[in-house]
Amino acid sequence: MFGERAAELVRGLHRAADGHLPAFNEDGIRQVLEEMKALYEQNQADVNEAKSGRSDLIRAIKFCHCSLLRNRRCVVAYLYDRLLRIRALRWEYGSVLPNDLRFHMSSEETEWFNQYKKSLATYMRSLGGEEGLDLTQDMKPPKSLYIEVRCLKDHGEFEIDDGTTILLKKNSQHFLPRWKCEQLIRQGVLEHVLS
Amino acid sequence: MDPAEAEFLAEKELVTVIPNFSLDRIYLIGGDLGPFNPGLPVEVPLWLAVNLKQRQKCRLIPPEWMDAEKLEEIRDQERKEDTFTPMPSPYYMELTKLLLNYASDSIPKADEIRTLVKDTWDTRIAKLRLSADSFVRQQEAHAKLDNLTLMEINTTGTFLTQALDHMYKLRTNLQPAESAQSQDF
Amino acid sequence: MAEGLEVRELDSDGSSEELVLTPAQLLRSLEQAWLNEKFAPELLESKSEIVECVMEQLDHMESNLKRAKHGDLKVSIHRMEIERIRYVLSSYLRCRLVKIEKFFPHILEKEKSRAEGEPSILSPEEFAFAKEYMANTETYLKNVALKHMPPNLQKVDLLRLVPKPNLDSFVFLRVQERQENILVEPETDEQREYVIDLEEGSQHLIRYKTIAPLVASGAVQLI
Repeated sequence: MFGERAAELVRGLHRAADGHLPAFNEDGIRQVLEEMKALYEQNQADVNEAKSGRSDLIRAIKFCHCSLLRNRRCVVAYLYDRLLRIRALRWEYGSVLPNDLRFHMSSEETEWFNQYKKSLATYMRSLGGEEGLDLTQDMKPPKSLYIEVRCLKDHGEFEIDDGTTILLKKNSQHFLPRWKCEQLIRQGVLEHVLS
Repeated sequence: MDPAEAEFLAEKELVTVIPNFSLDRIYLIGGDLGPFNPGLPVEVPLWLAVNLKQRQKCRLIPPEWMDAEKLEEIRDQERKEDTFTPMPSPYYMELTKLLLNYASDSIPKADEIRTLVKDTWDTRIAKLRLSADSFVRQQEAHAKLDNLTLMEINTTGTFLTQALDHMYKLRTNLQPAESAQSQDF
Repeated sequence: MAEGLEVRELDSDGSSEELVLTPAQLLRSLEQAWLNEKFAPELLESKSEIVECVMEQLDHMESNLKRAKHGDLKVSIHRMEIERIRYVLSSYLRCRLVKIEKFFPHILEKEKSRAEGEPSILSPEEFAFAKEYMANTETYLKNVALKHMPPNLQKVDLLRLVPKPNLDSFVFLRVQERQENILVEPETDEQREYVIDLEEGSQHLIRYKTIAPLVASGAVQLI
């Protein structure tokens, strides 16, 4: 049946949970493109015959054209929906993606992703003063400024806001201003203890 | 809008604290605060009040309405009337939650207050569901929603507006198909 | 700190005038713009002047704080305020970016047909971003699929491919300035259209399309 493979592309992606990125279906795309090529060539032949009087072919030609349009629509929908998922990954994981996700992207998708990262970085740098504004930070409303943290490794002395110094020793727990420890949390020195 | 954002907006509300430290007037971008003197009440936004309290630098004075007797009246009134009654604060739910979480020691009858506010909230959300239901059923184009708070609207609102969008899509799609010829085969 | 800030705003009749906002008023305008942007189905006019002024305030405060002595309670209070403002600012710009990425062909089309003197809905930086996003996506689709398709199928119109914002969606609003004779269109064939007045302070549920100009003029606030 015409269009079956194209519909399967879309269905496959639809089955994957929201935000999940399945492996790029290169084979599926290739098959649809081949089907389109065959359909087009067949149709060209019919068009030529129709021109020389076979007016009974006109309906078949129209149908064939619709099939081609539908195949294109499915392929583009598949590719575009994947871009939207890849875009979301940038906001979820930052600019370096985990390996298993990168293996699910085609080389052209990686290229699109790199260009997207570049545009986004240029945009964010252009905001405000010299350093710009990193919009991938501050994703949630700031909550109580002091948070409970646990030390995951020895880090040594650390000066906090009110001038006092504390010793960040492995497994010790502290009650610290959030903005002071955000970076250490990202570096894996501290861990936020959720009460 | 998620509840954390409604809470964020509620944290701008002013509450009274009694500090145990001194500090000169402080010039924030959003306006001036203070001066702070030990034992003298001063108004600050809730975000600051909660922080000072966390660091044991102040005592919190609950807003006047956060009182079991007053809230009982409000609850009864809400149950009696079909429409939404005016609330003592546009952020009554968030304020109750935040203050009871961080300053329950300075609020008398904290448990009772928690229950009363929850009862009032439940009554209002039930009314909101009913009116949303009739709005959809009657296919209304406009509704007046006075006295509803941001948190209430955002609890039911997203669901309601999405449902209305879907219904609209279904209704406008009931038009003759564009390309009948491809259906012939 | 409380010196006035000049923000140029366009009136509804298109003439511009200098408005002087205090920092507190400036923050309120940012918050209103943030909530409107959050709830409106379409991208609203860029408030880049407000954004710039708020960023200046933040930079100014940050550099003051660098000079302040450590361990000051005052410093930590200022820091908390900065965090809150930066959140609203980032959330506002993020919300716009999401819409730009979602509706880019339509937004760029609108920008193209914009009359001289009419305010742009994109800041210059957003415009640059939207153009790059469009070019990147077009190139991608072309290289991966379209150029391998039959010759008569190699061009797709992104305006048809990418969904439009749904201006018919319902929104909640609070009235800031009284409005009379707002025409409410019927939902079904059996109903008739009618007019309503919007009293100051009242709240409503209505189609975005009906009140879109009032959001732009600031007469209503989306909630």
